Amino acid sequence: MSTLTDWLRDPSPASRRQARLGQAYLSWLRLKNNRLAVIGLGIVLALVIVAIFAPVLAPHDPITQDLRARLLPPLTAGHPLGTDDFGRDILSRLIVGSRITLYIILLVAVTAPVFGLLVGTVAGYFGGWIDEVLMRITDIFLAFPKLILALALVAVMGPGIINAVLAIAVTSWPPYARVARAETLTVRSSDYIAAVRLQGAGAVRIIWGHIMPMCLPSVIIRVTLDMAGVILIAAGLGFLGLGVQPPMPEWGAMISAGRKYLFEQWWVATMPGLAIFTVSLGFNLLGDGLRDVLDPRNSGK
Amino acid sequence: MALIEIDDLSVTFAARHREVQAVRNVSLAVDARESFGLVGESGSGKSTILRAICGLAPISGGTIRIAGQPVPTRRGPGFSRRVQMVFQDPYASLHPRHTIDRTLSEPLAIHGLPDTDARVVRALTDVGLPPAFRFRFPHQLSGGQRQRVAIARALMLEPEILLLDEPTSALDASVQAETLNLLNRLRAERGLTFLMVSHDLAVIDHMCDRILVMQHGAAVEELPREALAKAQMKTDYARSLFAASADRLLGA
Amino acid sequence: MTLLSVENLHVTFDTEAGVVEAVRGVSFALGRERLGIVGESGSGKTQTGRAVLRLIRPPGRIRADRMVFDGQDLMAAGERDMRALRGRRIAMVMQDPKYSLNPVMRVGHQLMEGLRQRDGLSRRDAHAKAVEALAAVQIRDPARVMEAWPHELSGGMGQRVMIAMMLIPNPDLLIADEPTSALDVTVQAEVLSILDNLVRTRGMGLIFISHDLRLVARFCDRVLVMFKGRIVEELPARNLMQAQHPYTRGLLDCLPRIGGPRTPLPALDRTADWAR
Repeated sequence: MSTLTDWLRDPSPASRRQARLGQAYLSWLRLKNNRLAVIGLGIVLALVIVAIFAPVLAPHDPITQDLRARLLPPLTAGHPLGTDDFGRDILSRLIVGSRITLYIILLVAVTAPVFGLLVGTVAGYFGGWIDEVLMRITDIFLAFPKLILALALVAVMGPGIINAVLAIAVTSWPPYARVARAETLTVRSSDYIAAVRLQGAGAVRIIWGHIMPMCLPSVIIRVTLDMAGVILIAAGLGFLGLGVQPPMPEWGAMISAGRKYLFEQWWVATMPGLAIFTVSLGFNLLGDGLRDVLDPRNSGK
Repeated sequence: MALIEIDDLSVTFAARHREVQAVRNVSLAVDARESFGLVGESGSGKSTILRAICGLAPISGGTIRIAGQPVPTRRGPGFSRRVQMVFQDPYASLHPRHTIDRTLSEPLAIHGLPDTDARVVRALTDVGLPPAFRFRFPHQLSGGQRQRVAIARALMLEPEILLLDEPTSALDASVQAETLNLLNRLRAERGLTFLMVSHDLAVIDHMCDRILVMQHGAAVEELPREALAKAQMKTDYARSLFAASADRLLGA
Repeated sequence: MTLLSVENLHVTFDTEAGVVEAVRGVSFALGRERLGIVGESGSGKTQTGRAVLRLIRPPGRIRADRMVFDGQDLMAAGERDMRALRGRRIAMVMQDPKYSLNPVMRVGHQLMEGLRQRDGLSRRDAHAKAVEALAAVQIRDPARVMEAWPHELSGGMGQRVMIAMMLIPNPDLLIADEPTSALDVTVQAEVLSILDNLVRTRGMGLIFISHDLRLVARFCDRVLVMFKGRIVEELPARNLMQAQHPYTRGLLDCLPRIGGPRTPLPALDRTADWAR
C-alpha cells in the first residue's frame, strides 16, 4: 500500500501514465478532505451499483401486476416501501428505474457537453464572424425555457426514452458552449498558445490538445451540477407522459401515477420523489466538491 | 546580406475606439550569428517587434525579410523551423496541464520528426535539466527551471534565429545569471542568431553586439556595445536610460 | 531610540506537503532609520514585513519571542489594537499600485476617505489635506489627479498616489515592499528619491524590502540579507561592497555590468554549507 502511494507521489515520474495517475491521486486527496463531496460521490456510486445489479437486487418483478396486493403501505411484509395501484412493489420499481435514470444521465452527459464544448471552443478560438454566428445560435436556444423546448421537441418527435434524451440534450448544450467560450477567450491570448502556434500547430491541434484541456474542468463541474436538473426534466417529461412510457418504472412517471392517491396513499408518489431528491442532491454535492478540486483558479496556490 | 531585415515596420492595434500605433517606422538589420538587443521602457514597442516577426501582432506597414525572403502572411512550417521565441514569463508560457515531455515533444509531432524519446532527453540535458524532470508538470518546477524548459522547447526544431522577449526579467538575479550563461553557451555551440529584448541595459550589454534604444514605439538610437560602455550616446533619452540603470547606482 | 524590535520571529505555513517555514528565527531592531531587507524569492523577506503588521492569514502562523513597536507588544495586541496601528502608525506600500487602489473609486475619494472617517475632518479640510499630500509626492496637477480613476494613472503616478495615501496619517514606520519593482527604471529613481526625501524630513522609520541589492544599498542606512528565512548577513549599506558572506557576494557578482567582461557570469553555489 505504502509503495503504491510512494509511486503515486513520486516527484519525478518515470512515465506519462505515472505522471497522470499521480495528479489524479493528488486530486483524490483534495476531494477526500471535503466531507460533503464524499457523501455526494457515495450517492452517485450507489446509484451506479444499484443500476448494474438491479435484476439481482429487486425482490419482485417491477412490471407484473398483483391486484390483490394494491396500495399496501410501507413496511408491509415483503414490500418495505409499499405497493402501487397495480400491486407492484415500489422498491423493486425504484431499483429497476435507477437504470433508466442512469441511462438518461449518461446519454445526456456524452452528448450535450461535448457538443457545447466544441461550439464554445471553436467560437472562442476563431472569433470574428464564426463567433458571432455560433453564439447567436446559442442565444436562440437559451432564449427558450428548457422544459418548454423539450416538450415541443418530444411533441414533434413522439414520446419515448431516446427522444426524451435527445430533447434534453438539445436544450442543455448552450450553457456549456458559453462556459467553454469564456474559458477559451482567456486561454487564447496566453503565451503557451502563442508558443505552440509559433511551432506551426494548426487550429485543430490547438483547440483539441491545448484549449480543450483548459476548458474541461469548468465544463465537468457544470455537468455534475446540471445533472440534478437533467433528472428533474426527465422526471418532468415522464410525469407529463412524454418520456418513458408505462409500464416502464421511470421515477417521474411513477410520481405522476401516484398523484391520484396523494392524500390517502402518500407513499406511491413520495418514494420516487425521495429517490429523485437523493440522486439530485448527490450530484450537486459532488459538483461542488469537484469545483474545489478541478477549478484551475483555486489550485496551484 | 543580413539574416533579419526589418524595413520601416509599423504595427497598429485597433483598440475599442481608436487605433494605437505600437511600433512606428522602425528599421533594423541583424547579421547571421549576431546578437542584437532592443532596449526600452514599457510601452516602447520592443516586444511588439518580436511578436510582429512571428505573426502575433498586426503589421500595418513596412516589410520583414528573413534571409532575403519576405515572411509569408501565414507563417508556414518552414518559418517555424527557422525562427523560435522564448517568452518573458515562464509561469505563463508553459501549458499548465501538459507534462514537460508533452511540451517538448509537441513540436516534433507537428513537424513529423522521428526519435521523439531520444530528442526530448537530449534537449533536457542540453539546457542542464536532469532527464528525471521529463514527466513533471510545470508547477513542480521553479521559475528558472521552467525558463530552461521554454528554451529547450524553442530549440526542439533546431532554428537558426531565437527571439528572446525579456527571458530573465521574471527570474531572481542568481537564476538570471545561470540563464544568461546558458543562452550564451547555446549560441556559441549552435551558431544561433539572437534578437533580444530587455529593459535592463546591463543584461543587453552583456548579451548583445549591437543595441537599438526605443521609446514610444520609435527607434531612438542604435549603438554598438563599445559605445555603450564608454557612454558615447548621442541622444538625451539613451543617456537618461543609461544613467538610471541600476548598475550605475552603486558607482554613485 | 528603538522604534521596533523583533526577536526570533518565525512564520510557518501548514500546507498539504507539510509545514513550510517561511521565516526561521529573524531578529532585528529598528530606530528612526532606513533598514533594507534583501533576498531572492522565497527568502521570507515579504513575510517578515507582513508579520510585523500581523497580516499573515491562516494557514500561516506567527511566533516570536518578542515583537515590540514603540513600547506596545505586537504579539499580545488584539485584532482591534492592530487595526488601530495599521495605517495610522505603521503604513505599508505594496509592489503594484494596480492592485492596491480600488478600481471603482476616484483617487480623491480614496485619499479623503481615511481623513474623513478616521480623523473626522470636514469635506473641505479633507480635500485640502489630500491635495497637499499629492503635492508632497511631486504630482504637478493634484486637482486633476484627485478627479482621476485609478486606471487613468500610469504606474509611476499610481505608486506616488499610494505613497501619498500612506503618508497622510504621518505614520512612525513605513514598510515598503518592492515599491518600485513594477516601474520603469527612469520612473523608479524618481519615486525612490521622493520616498527617501519624505522619510528623511518626517523622521520616520523605513523598512525597504527588495530583491535588488544595489537599489537597497543606495537608499538605506543598514541592510539585512535574507536567505531561506534566515538573516545571513547584516551590514551598513555603504560597506556593501565589502560584504563577507558568500551569498551576499554571490548576489553582487552574478549581476552583469555595463562594459563588464563577456565571460560567463559567476553562478551562486547552492550546495555550500551556508545554503542548508
